[in-house]
Amino acid sequence: MTATMTVHTAATSVKKTARRRINWQKQGLAYLFLLPALAIFTLVTWYPILNTIVYSFQKVNISGFQGWVGFSNYVRMFGNPLFYTAWQNILTYIILSLLMGFMVPLVLALMINEMRGQSSLFQLIVYLPTLIPIAVALIVWRQIYAPSGGILNSLIGFLNIEPQLWLQNPALAKPSLIVIMTWVGAGGATLLYLYALREIPTDLFEAAELDGFSVLQRIWYIALPLMRTRIQIMLVIQVISVAQVFTEPFILTKGGPVNSTMSPVMQIYDAAFTRYDFGLASAWGVSMLVALSLFSILYVILTREDLSKG
Amino acid sequence: MVSRGIMSNTEWRSLTGRLLHVFYLVVLVLVSVVVIFPFLFSFTAGLHNSIDIVKPGFHLWPEKPLWGNYWDAWQRFGMSKLFTNTFIVAGGGVLARLAVSALAAYSLSRLKPIGKNVIRALLLITMAVPWVAYLVPRYAIMADMGLLNNFFGLWIPYAADSFMILVLTNSFDQIPKDLYEAAQLDGASDIRMFFSITLPLSYSVLLVLGLFAFIGFWGDFLWPFLVLRDSSLQTISVRLYTETRGFSLNLFLAASFIAMVPPAIAAFFLQRQAPKGGLTF
Repeated sequence: MTATMTVHTAATSVKKTARRRINWQKQGLAYLFLLPALAIFTLVTWYPILNTIVYSFQKVNISGFQGWVGFSNYVRMFGNPLFYTAWQNILTYIILSLLMGFMVPLVLALMINEMRGQSSLFQLIVYLPTLIPIAVALIVWRQIYAPSGGILNSLIGFLNIEPQLWLQNPALAKPSLIVIMTWVGAGGATLLYLYALREIPTDLFEAAELDGFSVLQRIWYIALPLMRTRIQIMLVIQVISVAQVFTEPFILTKGGPVNSTMSPVMQIYDAAFTRYDFGLASAWGVSMLVALSLFSILYVILTREDLSKG
Repeated sequence: MVSRGIMSNTEWRSLTGRLLHVFYLVVLVLVSVVVIFPFLFSFTAGLHNSIDIVKPGFHLWPEKPLWGNYWDAWQRFGMSKLFTNTFIVAGGGVLARLAVSALAAYSLSRLKPIGKNVIRALLLITMAVPWVAYLVPRYAIMADMGLLNNFFGLWIPYAADSFMILVLTNSFDQIPKDLYEAAQLDGASDIRMFFSITLPLSYSVLLVLGLFAFIGFWGDFLWPFLVLRDSSLQTISVRLYTETRGFSLNLFLAASFIAMVPPAIAAFFLQRQAPKGGLTF
């Protein structure tokens, strides 16, 4: 009896030490594999994120730290009327982009999914704009929107509509940019919706068809509910990416006319790289962090009920 | 191709089905025209002479196409140099991102590091925070390290992609454990297994993610625009923006069209590989 017990304890302790020894070796190896990623993420994301907050309380420029300034960067940021203009613009950008662009990929995916033989052709076509260097695509769009000799004005000329100043009229500039953003972004979302549609078991549609559901009813009661999570994710992605809008207004309008296309990222760029005021630029960066985390929290609150239902 | 959509094949062949088919086709063809139009426009605009291009009115195809414009644009914009630069930037970025991500994903998937969940959470945070918010300190670090006007100033940030790490971790998790156990019995080390089991079996996923990254890097604008101020190092999309000499519009649009070709080729491969990579969202 005693003998067996001793053997038993001995065996456990051997097992324990053995496990621990292997663990240390394994842990060393595990972190060796992780090392490049951890080093690079620290250097280019985690440390800069923390530093954005630190910088926003400093006077700092390209040659480094110049002194602590308390809240003075924030006072200057909030005191600048452009702060309110830029964030109001973002709100308008978001609402316009949801109204003009959110349904587009969903409808396209539902149609392409039904195209049998030709579906892969259309799939490639709608995805094309996503592949093109945006700065290059914008050179082409500038010619399309050009006030005189522009393709769009020539086209609407056939319908006897007066030529418009697409990018120079404050009322039209934002929608004109949203059209470009939808053109660029719709393809990726369409592909994701297509994948989602193809994952839905076809028996569901078959059963619904036998029960006399119309095509619209099948879309409404089967396809859309099953794609809901992805539709929600795309909504969040769209809002977050529109909030970062930079290249389109930077290249096409420089934020004008009368600041109607000005965005927070353009202000970050302007503060940091034309006035070399890294502190002010970082205060803008923090405003961006805060706005987007508020949005994330709001999103979690709004969808929590849905999530708990599964 | 697909056995049925939301509609069954019989329904698709009925009268309403055919009407709907025509309606869908008309909508999709119209959308395709709108989508393709800017490409077509830049292609044909590149064939005009420098006076016709600025004339008002709708004239897509020139009376006398000047194919020589493309050769002209290639030479006068120094496209060979621009293509070389962009290939180095995008290719190096892809290799760096794949290497760093695959190593990290192998660790997270197979080696069970202590604090794995903390690392995952930190990676997820970087996906939620837009990089433009911390653009300035990142730029300052790169400047301190002397990496401005240096391809490393692009490759290092390009290597960090939490999305790729998480996708690869998931895909490495799918590899059957038996394979590793058999290899371990034969005395294979983790490094050996990483190279001879994990990487070959994940070939399709790595290729698809690599092509996506390549397309993204080829067209990246803001970061290369900030890092590469020296015009002899600039990538094609930065150069076409900063090129301020008075080129005529037709040459500019011909150059733009040339810049769109490599990502389109990458997309062609992507179209063929993506289903095999099983990449869904």
